[in-house]
Formats: sequence, structure tokens, C-alpha cells
Amino acid sequence: MENVIEVESVCKSFGDEQVLKSVTHTFEEGKIHGIVGNNGSGKTVLMKCICGFLRPDSGRILVNHEEVGRDRDFPEDIGIIIETPGFLPHLSGFQNLKLLASLRRIANNHTIYDVIKLVGLDPDMRKPVGKYSLGMRQRLGLAQALMENPSILILDEPFNGLDKYGVLHIRNLIKGLREQGKTVILASHNQVDIDELCDTVCEMDAGNLTVVR
Amino acid sequence: MKKLHQIFSIAGYNFRLWRKNPRIIVTFALAFVMCFLLSDKAVCFAIDHNTTMQIVEVFIWNFGDSNSILLSSVLLVMLFADMPFLSSGTPLYLVRTSRRVWITGQVVYTLAATFVYLVFVLICTAFFSMQQSFVGNMWSPTAAILGYTNAGERVAIPALVKTLEMSWPYQSMVSIFFLMLGYTSVMVMIMLVCNLRFGQAAGVVSVLVFSVYGILLKPDTIQTILRLPDEAYYIANVTIGWVSPLNQATYHMHNFGYDKLPRLWQSYCIFGALVILGYIAALQAAKRYNFSFAGTEG
Repeated sequence: MENVIEVESVCKSFGDEQVLKSVTHTFEEGKIHGIVGNNGSGKTVLMKCICGFLRPDSGRILVNHEEVGRDRDFPEDIGIIIETPGFLPHLSGFQNLKLLASLRRIANNHTIYDVIKLVGLDPDMRKPVGKYSLGMRQRLGLAQALMENPSILILDEPFNGLDKYGVLHIRNLIKGLREQGKTVILASHNQVDIDELCDTVCEMDAGNLTVVR
Repeated sequence: MKKLHQIFSIAGYNFRLWRKNPRIIVTFALAFVMCFLLSDKAVCFAIDHNTTMQIVEVFIWNFGDSNSILLSSVLLVMLFADMPFLSSGTPLYLVRTSRRVWITGQVVYTLAATFVYLVFVLICTAFFSMQQSFVGNMWSPTAAILGYTNAGERVAIPALVKTLEMSWPYQSMVSIFFLMLGYTSVMVMIMLVCNLRFGQAAGVVSVLVFSVYGILLKPDTIQTILRLPDEAYYIANVTIGWVSPLNQATYHMHNFGYDKLPRLWQSYCIFGALVILGYIAALQAAKRYNFSFAGTEG
């Protein structure tokens, strides 16, 4: 299997606090990679570095053989959820996704409609997102990550706010992504999610990434 | 074409966040109050003298004065208190665009929002003088009294003969509007660059420094520094007209054909060049900028 994401000696500090300490790891194509760790251990920072939102102090990150921050600002062909995604509260879920889809012009109305159904929401629902529950917003967040059919998905705490049926539904959906050959990086506090879904597991502890399995 | 669409989508996203936003509502409410307080003097003067006004005259008299420009521009900072406009929705836009597109979208937003704010100020001042006003493009009897007698000085309304004789009301209004737009745009660009480079607090401090620089730069200061005799006071006045951005934004501090003050087109060019420089600096700052979205650290 080819490595789609390569993290090479990445360090990141905020002031005096070193959040990532020379993190090196590779993520293989077509697998679900889990990252576990306590709050503040650096999981989200690592994911943000991979997405290009944070610039590492040293080291480099390659996504699909392109260096993030040098060859590209943000990796192409990537879908993300960084914790609870923010949407425009006065628009419906469909309208929000349509607005986002207009940026890349990959997903059309039909695709958006289907992906909203896929995550268990009603695409015809006119209710504004401001009145959605946390779980519904999380599902919509997953829909926006999936709508352009990216080959890499970065999902930071995608089960936040979901009820147990929601968790089961999204777990099955993520399993389906592996069958489609997509690469998923999944950060979760929940060990059960990680055990059930992930092919490889790493633990982030005080800025150090170690392979668990 | 696709990038242009992305830029306007990002700017549009920021405008969509205005809906029911208390900070935006308070900013416009304060601007309304500010316009009322500034307009009151001129409107009361017209009522007392039982004279009419041209509908944009109040705007011209109010914002032909550097103090009012300063006041309205500082209030504008409230509109941009959340600069550089990062919300939990930002990563969804970023990942679909690039740093360059994102920052260009923010610049388009700040310039467009400044324009909207100034249009609002213009409408408010017109609204407050509506009862006494006419819309024809000619100076009113009120303007004549204020300009040609010492009444203007007495009530501290800067209605100058220079303005009355060298232009028409709508022409002056357009000039003042664009001078204010230039000045406030430069100010918000400085705020954006400092915000991206040194953090949010630095952005606010930069606006204060920029405003204080305008306030402190007076002809007397230049006269003292250059040790000019009183008869050469005009040199200090001309120097201030060129080096103070606040004076560049003040209508009557311009050359109407008989002194060495900047001409209006020169001020527009200076403001335009500074905005472009600010944009380039913002692009540079965005290259190394670490995006931090509220509530997503872990």
C-alpha cells in the first residue's frame, strides 16, 4: 500500500509550550488510522498541521506526495471535520452545503441531496441549522466532508454529540469508506470506536506520537 | 473565474454572519447616534434661522472636519473587532480554497463593509436633515449664512467659502465620501496586517496609533520641529496636508488651484496605493499565519 500522508519530524510550539515533539509517522492508503490521546495531547494540532491550517515550526508533511505549505496551501482531495463544524445558522443544511460546494464546483445539487440522506438527515428539511441539535450538526459536518468524494478524510471527534443510534450509523458509514478505498484519519476519545473501526492506532501523549497497533 | 467566485463567496460568508449579530447591530446603532449628535448642530441652526438645507450638506459639513472623520473611523473598528474573521466555519472554506484566496476574500469584505458603513452614515445624516432639506444640486441659504458670515465659526460648523465656491453639493459629497473611504480603508488594512502578523491586540493598538498620529500631527508641531517663523506658518500647514493621513481625508485641506496642498486625485492615489501595499503585506502575513478556530483546540 502507498503512503498517502507522510509526517516527517514535525515540531510545533505555541509560545513556550511544545505541542508536537518531532512527530514522524506515515498513513497508508485505504485504511482507517486512529489517533487516541487525552485532551490537549496534540491530536487536533497534528490534524490541523496535516490540513495546512497550522505551519509546523520544523519538519514537513506530504499529502499525496505534495508538501503542505510549500506545494499547496491546503491539501487537495481532502474532506475534514475539525470537532464541531460551523455552519451559517439561518440557512438550512442543504443551503449550507450548496454554498460550500460552490467553491470547488465538484458536487452538484443531486450529490448534496444524496450525501445528506447518507448521513441520516432529511435533505428536504427547511429547518435552519441554528435549530439543529449537536448530533445533527455533526452529521451535516460529515456530509460536507464527504460531498466532494475526497480520497482522504480527516475526522476529529466525528462522534461528538451523537446518540447511540447515530454513533452506530456513522460507524457503519466510516466502515463503508474503507471499502471504497478511502484513507481515514480518525481522532476519538472513545476507545470502542477506535477498536472497532481502525486498522492502525497511534497514541498522542504530550506531543509524542507512538504506534499502539 | 473560479477563484473570483471563491473570493466573493468568502466575503459573502462574512456578510452572512452579520445577521442577528449583536456587535454589528450595536455598531450601526452607535453610528446612528453619532450622526444624530453631529447633525444636530447644523439642523438646529437651520431651524433657528428658518432656512432650508441641501440634503447632503449636513454630511458635507460634518465630515469635512477631521475630528468627525476620526470619530466615525474609530467606531468602524467595532465592526471589525472579530478580525481576522475566524469562526468554526472557516476551516470548511479554507480547505476548499487557498491562503491567497482567503485573504483576498477578507480584504474584499473589509473594503465592502467599510463602504456599507459609510453609505449608512451618509443616509443617516440625510435622514436627520430631511425635514429642512431639498434635493437640488445647489447650496442652501443655510450654507450661505454659515460660509459667508462668521456664524459657521461661532457654532463650530466647518462650512467654508472655499467649499461653497469651488464645488457643488453632490460633487463635494462624492469627494468627501471617497476621501473617508480611502482613509478608513487604509486604517482597516493596517489593522488586518497587524492582526495577522502580531495578533488581535496588535490590530486594535495599530488603529489607535494610526488615529493618534493623525490627531497629534498639527501645523504647530511642524512649526516647532522645523523652527519656522510665524510668517512661514503656511509651510507647516502644507506639510501637514501631505503627511497626515487625517488631513489627506479632510476635504478643505486640499488644493483647489491656489496652494500647494494635495489635490483630491493625489489623495485618492495615495490612499489607493496604501491599500494595495496593505493587501500585499496581508498576503505575505497570511503565508505564515497559523489559523486558530475558536473551540477546536485539543
